[in-house]
Amino acid sequence: MLKTTSLVWMMPAVFILLIPGAFGSIYWTSLFIMVLINILLTSSIRVIWLTGQISMGHAAFMMIGAYVSAILTIKAGFSFWLALPVSGLASGLVALVIGFPFLRVTGIYFSILTIMTSETLRHLAYSWTSMTGGKLGLSGIPNPGELTIPLLGTINFQGSSEYYYLTAVIVSVSLLILYLVEKSRYGLTSRAIKESSQLSGAVGINVLWYTVFNFVTACFFAGIAGSLFAHFQSLLTADSRSTFGIISTINFLLYMVIGGEKKFFGPAVGVAFVMVLTELSRTLQEYQSFFIGSLAILIVIKLPGGLIGIPQQIYSILKNTFVNTNAIHPPKSNPIERKL
Amino acid sequence: MKSSHFLEISGLSMSFGGLEAVSNLNLQISEGEIFGLIGPNGAGKSTILNMIGGTLKPTSGKILFKGQDITGLPVHRKAMIGIGRLYQANILFNNFTLVENVLVALHMKIKFNLLKVLFQRRLLARQEKNLHERAANILETVGLIDIKDEVAVNLPHGQQRLLGLAIALAMEPALILLDEPVTGMAADEVEKMLDTTISLIKKFGMTCIIIEHNLRAVMSVCDRVAVVNFGCKIAEEETTKIFNHPKVIEAYLGGEDQCCWE
Repeated sequence: MLKTTSLVWMMPAVFILLIPGAFGSIYWTSLFIMVLINILLTSSIRVIWLTGQISMGHAAFMMIGAYVSAILTIKAGFSFWLALPVSGLASGLVALVIGFPFLRVTGIYFSILTIMTSETLRHLAYSWTSMTGGKLGLSGIPNPGELTIPLLGTINFQGSSEYYYLTAVIVSVSLLILYLVEKSRYGLTSRAIKESSQLSGAVGINVLWYTVFNFVTACFFAGIAGSLFAHFQSLLTADSRSTFGIISTINFLLYMVIGGEKKFFGPAVGVAFVMVLTELSRTLQEYQSFFIGSLAILIVIKLPGGLIGIPQQIYSILKNTFVNTNAIHPPKSNPIERKL
Repeated sequence: MKSSHFLEISGLSMSFGGLEAVSNLNLQISEGEIFGLIGPNGAGKSTILNMIGGTLKPTSGKILFKGQDITGLPVHRKAMIGIGRLYQANILFNNFTLVENVLVALHMKIKFNLLKVLFQRRLLARQEKNLHERAANILETVGLIDIKDEVAVNLPHGQQRLLGLAIALAMEPALILLDEPVTGMAADEVEKMLDTTISLIKKFGMTCIIIEHNLRAVMSVCDRVAVVNFGCKIAEEETTKIFNHPKVIEAYLGGEDQCCWE
């Protein structure tokens, strides 16, 4: 029996599957590869946000993943399939090491620390010529090559459609893991820490440990996304205008807020919406950023739940219009509520 | 040396810069006792509770809980070994429903890790269901079950106090610290809150330290009372005798030589 919930799940899945065929051009397929990578990055930065912290250094963790994966495949002869998890682990390890000292402070102070770390790491990658190629960048990153999968046969991931499907599978599995973690007690605990870290501590939650856990998880998946990015681009540079600059992190936060940060799939909606809209509005030329910017401001003001909150917002408007809410919830006559 | 007392505080001092909030405090509390801590505003009562169950690390002195030194332990470790707390201000998980509030407080009753979350979801779901029932039971005992799906921040003050109590009780602590449990409540609520609190504390066999300004409430529930003023314990007596103590009368009503109208 087909339930509505499984239909809701299947529709985007089918849509994702059809993209390379439907658009039929490398241009659009490449765009959607970047959409998928950005979905993973934005969904993972939201994991940090769940505990109430805003990391401004997410692009740096993507960079760590990208460079680790690139250097391992170019210089150490690793295959992509091994370099991918290793790059996630490397990114997570760095997050673990800096997480414990950094997450002792919260709020704006944590954001400042992560900005500084992000830029420091980017400068390191930009200057470490022997390892990262420095200003010239790191080129010749191999594509994943061939992989024999039972039932499907041997697939060569050289083409962009094949790489698209590979990215789709890896991003989907990553999102599934993040989803299961969020729906479990980890998610409840994270939200509790965001609500009140003081009370969370008092009921026995190790606040520092759980915030670091979320930070490391997020950075692990940022590393995975970085690795996918590196093998897609085949050329990495770390100058300030590259993908690893601060502006990327700001974009992730923007996608998250536009899509709706309260829901798990908000970031995915936000990324797809903004990136596709950016492509479609290229003809506006110099007015493009004005257009996207004003739209973003409008969404933030008018849609507190983001794009993904639209159905619920419409529902509540309809309910308020057609149903007399007082009839459903009569004023309580609880003696405790009575005040002098 | 292992202490025979349930909670033993010896030589406890806390200074903030030049201000000595608590100086050389000694207290012994035995198991099952309901102990009152009273004194004028700013006497250092909340500071004492903060050192026992909170994040404050005393400048000097020792706190032994069941013979274990808990001085300066992180607050979640204190919760784990059985110290629960009701805050003076209504600190709750504001945007959570009442059930969720209590579910979070049941954190220590469930063991979970990443592998379990990913591969043993059935098992965890069953445990969560049990916790859900348990949370509902706790809300029922404090009388909030009818509004369990309400968001905490929307509750009136009195019910927020009750929810704070439910959170503290959910941890099933051996020692519960109540910082002004009936503050800001109307007269009819005070009695109800105290009845609920004390009957539950007795039922679970908890030891309890209460800070309270409502002296009638203190008289009615506490076994023993200590009076604190300017960070020093000026008296410690059984409840019935405490208000005959000359120093207590002096602290509350003023002594002969410190009349302020002259």
